Amino acid sequence: MKLETNHATRAERAAYLAGALEGLYSGEAVPAATIGGRRAAIARLRQFDVTRYGTTRNHVTKRGISFLSPYIRHGVLALAEIRDYILTRFGAGRDTTKYINELAWRQFWQLVYAEYGNRIHQDIEPPKVPRNGTRRSLPDDILQATTGLVCMDESLRELYREGYMHNHARMWFAAYLQHWRGEDWRDGAELFYTHLLDGDPASNSLSWQWVGSTFSHKPYYFNRQNVEKFSDGEYCKRCPLASGGCPFDATYEQLARDLFGMSQEELEQGGQRRGQQSRR
Amino acid sequence: MPTPIVWLHGDSLSPYDAALVAHPAAPAVFVFDEPLLKQARLSFKRLMFIYESAIEALEGRTHELRRGVVVDEVLDFCRAHGGDEVHVSASVSPRFATYLGLLRGNVRVVVHSPPPLVGWSDAAPRRFSHFWRKVEAEALRPTGDGPPELREE
Repeated sequence: MKLETNHATRAERAAYLAGALEGLYSGEAVPAATIGGRRAAIARLRQFDVTRYGTTRNHVTKRGISFLSPYIRHGVLALAEIRDYILTRFGAGRDTTKYINELAWRQFWQLVYAEYGNRIHQDIEPPKVPRNGTRRSLPDDILQATTGLVCMDESLRELYREGYMHNHARMWFAAYLQHWRGEDWRDGAELFYTHLLDGDPASNSLSWQWVGSTFSHKPYYFNRQNVEKFSDGEYCKRCPLASGGCPFDATYEQLARDLFGMSQEELEQGGQRRGQQSRR
Repeated sequence: MPTPIVWLHGDSLSPYDAALVAHPAAPAVFVFDEPLLKQARLSFKRLMFIYESAIEALEGRTHELRRGVVVDEVLDFCRAHGGDEVHVSASVSPRFATYLGLLRGNVRVVVHSPPPLVGWSDAAPRRFSHFWRKVEAEALRPTGDGPPELREE
């Protein structure tokens, strides 16, 4: 079936596509604010200032980032083009290096995908910590963004509304879903893949495995102090659980014991030993 | 002389796609993969982004966007335009390899390589830190001036 492409406005285009692709998507037929195509990609690249990227890229509310990931994922902009432009415009330096280092993650995931193929959707390595997640539908509070944790719910709402979540927020959520809620990483990966405009099989599944420790030497986890630091306390200020009941309000040592039943040191060493034992 | 057409897929939605650039006058087609999407049920936002990106990538040349079985639609488009050679950019997706095999049973296919950030011919790295140590120097060396649209600025 041939699709039409000559609509005067974006709203008309969306309305047409909703009918033309009926049965092929989930949820409401509402486009994200992010517009596809090369012109929008170039505009974002032109706006991006790499200065201070190294210190602001992890800040979930300040967001000193390029917002180019959907365009990179779909090949609208090539990694080499972006690298060349950033080097030409800003020159070499700490922030430029950090940005290009992040671009290199994209090629890294693609190299792994080229070798492993669809096996990236299963555990690449044995988990380094005890795990009891089983595959099932995600709980309603995740699907409705009503966990009661502002740092999670705001990120989930942005995911559902705009097809976007900040990278650091993705790490928090992936850790929360796996380590605190005991859900299988593949269910979280499917949720992200459904919604993220930059959803890519390799970047997505392998990042979830990186957090879960089946593609890394230890699990990634975080605490409240980390959330406060990288959001300037914005989330906790508005969170009903901030004054009591926040599951992230503990030291890393305490969380290692609560979540994984081992000390931080054991997590570093024991995790590696477990991996070696499993490989034997 | 062969008559080429270009198959544009979702990993390469740029007007500077290597296959499009190699054949600037060739008709080109993009196909929404109906069996895949029926099963994956992505959000509408994702499909709209892909649709807008494909339209812009194909502007200014004979083109079609279609919905259907990818290989069937590409072959049909090829026949409709009197083509006998399909040009496409490489993708690491296993599905791409499957489609390539099916196409090759029917028509000559030429796969173009998009420019990588860095060259890499070893087995896939297991840890990013190892990969970065090996490629850092090359990754920080420019190979051009960036997107043509921004070169005048």
